Amino acid sequence: MTDIKARPVNDTPNRGLHRLAIILCCMTVALLIAGALVTSNEAGDSVPDWPLSFGRWLIRSNNFIANVRYEYSHRFIAGLVGFTTLALAVWAYFAERRDWMRRLGLIAFAGVVAQGMIGGMRVWFPEYKALIAVPHALVAQSFFAVAVSIVVFTSRSWWLPREMKSDEKGLALRTLTGTTVLAVQIQLVLGAGFRHQAFGIAPHIVGAVVVSVLIAITVATVVRRHRENSYLARPAKFVIALLIVQLGLGIGAYLARLTSAGEPQPLEPMISLTVAHLVVGALTLAMVVTLMLRCHQVLAPARQPGSSSVESHKIHSAASGSAV
Amino acid sequence: MIKRIGTICLMVMLAAVLIAVGCKGTKNKNTASEEAGGKPQYASKGDEGTITGKISYDGPAPELKKIDMSQDANCAGSSGDKTADDILVADGKLANVFVYLKGGPVDKFSFPTPSDPVTLDQQGCRYHPRVIGIQTNQPFKVTNSDSTTHNIHPSPKVNQEWNQMQAQGAPPIEKKFPRPETLIPVKCNQHPWMKANIGVLAHPYFAVSAKDGTYTIKNVPPGTYTLVFWHETKGEQTQQVTIAAKESKTQDITYKAGATAGATSMQIGPTLVLP
Repeated sequence: MTDIKARPVNDTPNRGLHRLAIILCCMTVALLIAGALVTSNEAGDSVPDWPLSFGRWLIRSNNFIANVRYEYSHRFIAGLVGFTTLALAVWAYFAERRDWMRRLGLIAFAGVVAQGMIGGMRVWFPEYKALIAVPHALVAQSFFAVAVSIVVFTSRSWWLPREMKSDEKGLALRTLTGTTVLAVQIQLVLGAGFRHQAFGIAPHIVGAVVVSVLIAITVATVVRRHRENSYLARPAKFVIALLIVQLGLGIGAYLARLTSAGEPQPLEPMISLTVAHLVVGALTLAMVVTLMLRCHQVLAPARQPGSSSVESHKIHSAASGSAV
Repeated sequence: MIKRIGTICLMVMLAAVLIAVGCKGTKNKNTASEEAGGKPQYASKGDEGTITGKISYDGPAPELKKIDMSQDANCAGSSGDKTADDILVADGKLANVFVYLKGGPVDKFSFPTPSDPVTLDQQGCRYHPRVIGIQTNQPFKVTNSDSTTHNIHPSPKVNQEWNQMQAQGAPPIEKKFPRPETLIPVKCNQHPWMKANIGVLAHPYFAVSAKDGTYTIKNVPPGTYTLVFWHETKGEQTQQVTIAAKESKTQDITYKAGATAGATSMQIGPTLVLP
């Protein structure tokens, strides 16, 4: 943890940067949908070359058919996300006075470049499909989490003065939300592993149980301790709603996959259910990341016994951001 | 700090590329050493026999599933069947079963490689034939008779995987499979219903059952073998067979309607195989 009070901070949030971060998040969701469509339609190798597609940057319309539509759209949106991330990183670098925010912009850009390279390797080395596709899914979700973090850090609500409370010992929310973020991230990787046939379904089912329990405990703890604080309670309630939808979509997607196993090609509703399952999984990650960041912002680590305890004090949100 | 992040990213990418290229290199090396392994050449004594048989299907013929080719107007508008051909049953006989010999003299000798190519054609956005057999290093030719673009993507486990586009009117793609492998799935990733299977063997003693379920394996050296029957969705069955000099033997087999091939992506346990 660094002491940001020693450094100058912006007095007001950068609304333009915030809007660009929101656009980036929306584009990343579109990219995740496109990626899920590629996997669900078994379109991953439909364009055998990379970075060009059939030897061109913009393919001919007569090539934009069947599964190529999914793969090429995925590449095209990925390119747009790459340029948007570059714009955001440059903007943050010159406009942000929080050092760690400037670094976060650069990390996002490094992430999108790395993701593009992994995607290219997936095309170049089809024999290692699962080994490359699973990290591709992991980096995709991690990038989305970073983009969501930038939205949170540049939001007006992050800058409002808030009452800082001491996190309770035992089941500390700072730790609990961090663990939940990690568990959701692992679960998304297990889901990708199943889709890309690296794992069976069993690890993903075990992961679903673990994540459900963790989210239930996290949400119950947040609501019990901070019912009146909508800054924490609202994302917690969103998380539990998303979890319920996600479990339903997961069961539906698996059953649809089972019933369509003997079909000559991927069919509806398996495709839509799988895509929706992936997107709601990403939104769940976004929401638990938001909850974790806010918990780290407004909850101070629990004090050791015997040390002087401060019940609460007003903080400036920008300064608290340094703790993340 | 920026420099450090950049350097780390670059190093990770380079390491990943090197690992992947290294793995590819190892595979090629294995192929070369396999080819170098010498067995005595089989010399015909003129006493070879023949194995023939019929493959029956016990149960009602499965309903042929419709293929939705609407994703590509060229496919949808093409002439030809628009139903899945993974299980073809006619009059209780099963087609597209790959039958081959294992063990005995065929494993002790090497056999000359035919120079005439085995052709896989893409017509009506389907592969013709669905199941083919080929000898190691025999030329393998892929042609495109369709008015659309395809990509041909075999996914072998021991041979080198490749994925190549073939546009309408493009010249045939010619490849070879240097290592025996039963069987290699082939897919067009642009048209996900297009599937074929290639059985690669080091000897010429194989056949694919015809529409009437019949198969014939000719010029079989006398000896005791395992006769393997492989079907894409109904799985594998084996029989022990002994061929005496100049003997013609009939080996029939029946596939039960409920039988299925092994593990699929729906299995519960892990499936990851590290290179």
